[in-house]
Amino acid sequence: MEVLAGLAYGFGIALQPMNLLWCLLGCVLGTLVGIMPGLGPAAAIAMLMPISFNMDPTGGIIMLAGIYYGAKYGGSTTSILLNIPGEASSVASCIDGYQMAKRGRAGAALGIAAIASFVAGTFGVVLLTLVAPPIARFALSFSSPEYFALLSLGLALVVLFAGESPIKAALAMLLGLWFTSIGIDLFSAQARFTFGQTALLNGIDFMIVAIGVFAVAEVLGSVQARTDAQLLSVPRGIRNLLPNWEELKACRFALVNGSITGFLVGVLPGAGSSISSFIAYAFEKLFSKHPERFGQGAPEGLAAPEAANNADTSGALVPMLTLGLPGGGTTAILLSALVLWGLKPGPMLMQDSPNVFWGLVASMYIGNLMLLLLNLPLVPLFAQALRIPAYVLFPMILGISVVGVFGVAQSIFHVGLLAGFGLLGYAMARLGFPGAPLILGFVLGDGMERALRQSLQMSGGDLGILVSRPIAAGLLVAAVLVLIMPLVGRFNRWRLRGIAENG
Amino acid sequence: MIQRVARDSDVLAGGVLAALGVYILVQATRWEYMGFDGPGPGFFPFWYGLAIVILSLWLVVGRLFRLRRESPGAVDWPGVRRALGTWALFALSVAVMPWLGFVLSFALLTFVLVRWQFGQGLKTAAFTAVGLAVGFYVLFPLALDVPLPAGRLGF
Amino acid sequence: MKRRGFLVGAAALTVLSGVGPAEAQYTPSRPIDLVVHSGPGAGPDAFGRALIAAIEAEKISPVRIQINHKIGGGGATAASYIIEKKGDTNTIGLFTSAWIANPLVQADMKATVKEMTPVVRLVIEPAVFAVRADSPYKSMQEIVDAAKKDPTKIKQSGGSPLARDAIVRHVLMSNTGARWAFVSFPTGSERIAALLGGHVDMMIIEPSEAGELIRGGQMRALAQVSDKRLSTFPNTPTLREAGFNVPNVPQARGFVAPPDTPREVIAFYEQLFEKLVKSPTWQKYLTDNQFEDAFLKSEETGKFFDQYSDLMRGILTGAGIRVVR
Repeated sequence: MEVLAGLAYGFGIALQPMNLLWCLLGCVLGTLVGIMPGLGPAAAIAMLMPISFNMDPTGGIIMLAGIYYGAKYGGSTTSILLNIPGEASSVASCIDGYQMAKRGRAGAALGIAAIASFVAGTFGVVLLTLVAPPIARFALSFSSPEYFALLSLGLALVVLFAGESPIKAALAMLLGLWFTSIGIDLFSAQARFTFGQTALLNGIDFMIVAIGVFAVAEVLGSVQARTDAQLLSVPRGIRNLLPNWEELKACRFALVNGSITGFLVGVLPGAGSSISSFIAYAFEKLFSKHPERFGQGAPEGLAAPEAANNADTSGALVPMLTLGLPGGGTTAILLSALVLWGLKPGPMLMQDSPNVFWGLVASMYIGNLMLLLLNLPLVPLFAQALRIPAYVLFPMILGISVVGVFGVAQSIFHVGLLAGFGLLGYAMARLGFPGAPLILGFVLGDGMERALRQSLQMSGGDLGILVSRPIAAGLLVAAVLVLIMPLVGRFNRWRLRGIAENG
Repeated sequence: MIQRVARDSDVLAGGVLAALGVYILVQATRWEYMGFDGPGPGFFPFWYGLAIVILSLWLVVGRLFRLRRESPGAVDWPGVRRALGTWALFALSVAVMPWLGFVLSFALLTFVLVRWQFGQGLKTAAFTAVGLAVGFYVLFPLALDVPLPAGRLGF
Repeated sequence: MKRRGFLVGAAALTVLSGVGPAEAQYTPSRPIDLVVHSGPGAGPDAFGRALIAAIEAEKISPVRIQINHKIGGGGATAASYIIEKKGDTNTIGLFTSAWIANPLVQADMKATVKEMTPVVRLVIEPAVFAVRADSPYKSMQEIVDAAKKDPTKIKQSGGSPLARDAIVRHVLMSNTGARWAFVSFPTGSERIAALLGGHVDMMIIEPSEAGELIRGGQMRALAQVSDKRLSTFPNTPTLREAGFNVPNVPQARGFVAPPDTPREVIAFYEQLFEKLVKSPTWQKYLTDNQFEDAFLKSEETGKFFDQYSDLMRGILTGAGIRVVR
């Protein structure tokens, strides 16, 4: 009841005309930021902070948060149309989203992304409203051993990303582990695999690897196949611009899975939204009746990561609003905005400034609705982009890739790395190595190494800490099961074949 | 037979990866494996380096066993040459970016790609190159405040 | 990053009426680039933005000041950028202790503050030793005693081995002979979460981060890592008062200019920051964030760099970390 009263109070604030306007402005800017690679939500919020200081804190945080969750809506657009992730969180959306577009279902893919974002975004806010304090306590019981187990499960799921050869998928993943350990080691301040380059001391940004292996490699692959006239077929008629009933039905479970996975992973401090979207994608494939459709343009393979990265936003706000602990770069800058307004984020925020807390939560219900209404009409507009002839589109993709990388790294050296990863991605595709496991290894590997070493620091070198804690043990058992299951299937097939041949 | 083995893509990829794995292992053993405060910087690379060596050798050996039965598919060499040519042009445009800046090197890249890789007319190529470069310049640095690599000319 | 476009309105030019008498011969004609080594939202960026906001509110700069992110290399990218900018009088870099400490152990970090021109030191960030509110340990001495009895018992969450929290641990361990584990986390949130979740026993935390958690009944402060007691923690002893005779490891922030910057340019910046430090906006910011006002002019800042390098070199060597400079 307390929650309902708080929410009603919040809607009273969020529905004030000025606050509605700030919410709309934040959502529009967020969508734009999401679409543009190279302009991330953290940088956009930092740019707008000086303006928002002249606003009252409630309106200000409503607008800045709108940019944060709005960017997740827009992020999928370039993933689907150009195979260039707009944000780190929409890398997983490239896999099936771009394939859908290639099959002439670009409009449907954009529609599914918007709907999945809306459903999961709203679901996430409902959870934020109802269970913020208890879920924050749950998140605290999660520490390094549990992270290690979770990330091991994530990496075990790589076998699901495998195409024909699980060995090649595993090798691609291990290559990702290597790339992610380039840079200064947090624990020892030792520089690893930097080849004497100062520019490598901070490691390689995830976006560089993702854009190189997906977008640049795709351009090279298409040049080889000489898809001269049209890269993607243009959908004709309004009906083909929207997802059909079959596609929506296929996404039912993906919406639930993505919402829950995204929210729960989002709550954990230190796990970014790229992790939650990959894990949701892998779960979706694991439980699917048609895992073979994944990577070929399965709508549920797009809906799951899109849902996850939107539910993740609400999840990430839980530790920030209840404990003052930001989970990533964007929430950190939101937090610093609250501090500069003179508010005190922390366990007392809900009591000290209920107008900010409940106003923000209520505005997120409104904002998600606004974003759906804003994004659906954009679908036909963006689908027109497909009419661009290939000889314009390919240079454009290369250009956007460069801008995107320069935007995150601010250095030509890293643009050079982009070219390198493009070549690597192309070579991998030619040699039958899947690209997604490399990205997954890169995303998860860094955190996994850290979690393992932290666990061993806690236990004084005793590996037993990984199995003596119930959550960690459970997750590790799940990881082992995931690894064993396909082997059992393979063994059965082999045995049956043997029986058939002999009998 | 030996020629076929040496040309096989899986054997080649496995060999390169095995070499990488050995390099990682050598590096990892130079760093501390277990230290005063817990696992050192060599701990994790040691294990994934070892895994790379084992799996890539497995790939090569597995391939050698199957090689007798399967013949490798034909490679589309003209296509590969096209793709690598495009990549080389892209890499070259990145390499000259510190001097020419994004706008100029991108316009040149676009012109060359459209004219020769896509076989369009001179006019189309020039128009596309100028149009895209100006479009990028107007959209990113001017309208959105996203910086582009600047050259010696200041843009 | 240069900010134009729709932001021009926000960062309006603030024109000053006369910089000051006699000494200030130099006045910049273009906006000043303030180089920070972190991305948007992280510590140095937030500090830089707050500083620019205060300068704009007080209208004490003749030209606009803008943030320029040179991210990467644990400060190395920003530091080498400052060295490259030799001869540029419109670029200054926001240094933190990492700019001094990291090159001591990283052979690849060739850009040191020694080569740059010191401008000012602005603040020192104090810190406190904190435990969870329901922790059995009521004082620093109790924790150290417990650690002495069983070296596997006590765990501390912290950052990199060059960060202040790790350095203070080494100083305390070699002073008392006790031993305890140190668990590294990349972000402050993760360090705090590990403490609140009961996975570690204590941490060193900035008062601005700890304040709300202490008020909310989640955390307790045992001792302060500073020379004198902070106004917000009047009842918490400093390490020295708690009976530990250890040197204080200050975490400083301030500005450096490119190598060989002329004296009159430095004088301009000294005056600018001196005015800032005296302003009420800045003083309020310091109180809100519990920073210690530690203003030093160019010459003294240079001396501080030397002292700090020597202190760190000694501590790092004692901790078994290889020092290359």
